[in-house]
Amino acid sequence: MRLLDSYILPRIAQWFMVVFIGITVTFLIPRLSPINPVDEILARMTAFQTMDPEAFKTMRETTLALYGLDKTLIEQYVAYWQRLMVGDLGPSFGNFPRPVTEIIAAALPWTIGLLVTTTIISWTAGVLLGSLAGYFHSRRWAQVFERLVVVVYPVPYLIIAFVLILIFVAELKWFPLMGGSRGDAALTWEYISTLLYFGFMPALSVVIGATAFRFIMAKSLTTTEIASDYVQYAELAAVPRRKIILFYVARNTMLPQVTDLALSLGLIFEGALITEVLFTYPGVGFVLYNAIYNGDYNVIMGITLLSIIGVATAALLIDLLYPIFDPRVRLR
Amino acid sequence: MGAIIETNDLRAYYITNAYGVERTVKAVDGITLRIQEGEVYGIAGESGCGKSTLLRILLGAYQPPLTVVGGDVKYHLEGEVLDAAEMTEEQQRDLKWRTISYIPQGSMHVLNPVRRIRDTFHDFISAHRDVSKAESFQLTADYLRDLGLPEKVMASYPHQLSGGMRQRVTIALATILWPKLIFADEPTTALDVVVQRGVIQMLKDVQQKEGSTLVLITHDIGVHANLADRIGILYAGKLVEESDTKTILESPRHPYTRYLIESLPSLDSREERMAIPGRPPALDRPPSGCRFHERCPLAKEICKTVEPQLIQIEPGHFTACHVVEEELSHVAV
Repeated sequence: MRLLDSYILPRIAQWFMVVFIGITVTFLIPRLSPINPVDEILARMTAFQTMDPEAFKTMRETTLALYGLDKTLIEQYVAYWQRLMVGDLGPSFGNFPRPVTEIIAAALPWTIGLLVTTTIISWTAGVLLGSLAGYFHSRRWAQVFERLVVVVYPVPYLIIAFVLILIFVAELKWFPLMGGSRGDAALTWEYISTLLYFGFMPALSVVIGATAFRFIMAKSLTTTEIASDYVQYAELAAVPRRKIILFYVARNTMLPQVTDLALSLGLIFEGALITEVLFTYPGVGFVLYNAIYNGDYNVIMGITLLSIIGVATAALLIDLLYPIFDPRVRLR
Repeated sequence: MGAIIETNDLRAYYITNAYGVERTVKAVDGITLRIQEGEVYGIAGESGCGKSTLLRILLGAYQPPLTVVGGDVKYHLEGEVLDAAEMTEEQQRDLKWRTISYIPQGSMHVLNPVRRIRDTFHDFISAHRDVSKAESFQLTADYLRDLGLPEKVMASYPHQLSGGMRQRVTIALATILWPKLIFADEPTTALDVVVQRGVIQMLKDVQQKEGSTLVLITHDIGVHANLADRIGILYAGKLVEESDTKTILESPRHPYTRYLIESLPSLDSREERMAIPGRPPALDRPPSGCRFHERCPLAKEICKTVEPQLIQIEPGHFTACHVVEEELSHVAV
């Protein structure tokens, strides 16, 4: 198969390369940094009490051996891959000995639920409104929308989130400040409604900025597109407006938009750190925040690893799907 | 045969106003044309003389800053006289492609890159005729075959076609509904001479099959010589000479036209060709009097102040030049 050999296989090989290099770098960076998690833990333990030097030394060695940090870098690296192959990301240093996979697995559904929803909503709304505003750029509503977006877009996320919290949580008390749900997890409307209730504020805070960004992108893409010779020519030939918008404008601006959507979905595994911390939402970002705070390297690496795989996979999927969207991409 | 389109003292300016600086570019300044039904009318002139602007006005496809400030454009179609400025948007849409069509400049980019050729044809056909997809595919296939284009073009995307092929596909796209009046803007520019020949032949075929009227705009006098019945020479937004192709090529009278014709390479003579001295004038501040006087070797005092009128110097041959006018009056006296 020419297609398989010349297009698909090289891209899959590329995926493996990217993931391999990414994992190696995430393995190396913390170990080459001057901070040692064991010393961090011991320093915390001995901060308010003195310890017998001999006992301190023993304890340091035991902890190093326990964390597998007493071996050489190469040995650690090999061991790391061996564990990875069986899906073991090691124990959490902060919540020893709870496995990292368990911690991430508990947080992941929250983050996926939140960010898949916000990404899809903001992408759809931003692209739709931005494209229409770009096509009907002289209409009043399009101009009002654009002014609004231009004002909202540069506002830092933190400020948007704080303003929302101040208004809806502190003043109006419509929404809760902390948590992800209430009651026991079950497929009942009662439980799901609490999910929506708790998720609404974090989701809204993310959607505002993300929609504004995509609105601006879609509008500028559309503005370029409607000035193109083929759109102008189709308009001159009085091709129906609906057809021009769909097959001439949107179809062409869709190419970078689809890339953006896929990459945004790939980035989900990183979590939304600021959002989750602000709203105390039990997702990956919150876990990451605590891990950084506690020097919990295995957790940080686990989340980074997931993120690398997510982005690399999204990029691979775009690459494989692109020929369907753009006939100009040659299957070479 | 009567006129199919005529203009009367047409003036169209680009009027811009940026940061309080008003700028008026007089791209079309007092042009009177009568284009006969069934003829090929060539409009020639160097870059920036207003050729494309004139065509946009004739076609009724212009937006601010381009504004018609005077004169009018009238179509004579199916026994009716239509004033381009008074047509409703509905009427304009109705005329497009079925009656009036346009082969654009830079045809390389007028085909949607992500749409197959046959789908683009369907978009254009179905906008004006009530046809199913299968019917328009059939219509397209028949027409392309008539014009000698390969069948496989139908399922191709524009980027898979060569430049010459894309140009021919565009001509086919513009003429598939057999319009009465076809405007072509530089249809052969950017093509090499061999491909040019094919495209010119195709334009000729299309025009002759239905006896359509073709208004051809190009700076390439060679193309005009091949195609046009009559030629109008445009200089700095004004018509300076108009006659049948033979007269223009063999005995041009206006000094500018003479320069244009003399600059053409010829097989018989190997001597160096003369270039027109100077540059085309900027149209936001056109020269006073005759707009060509700064570059004209025959210019006299009167040329600098008084604008020459377009006069008939022999049947069907018009020119706007004081020197020619004077010579004629001497002969008459």
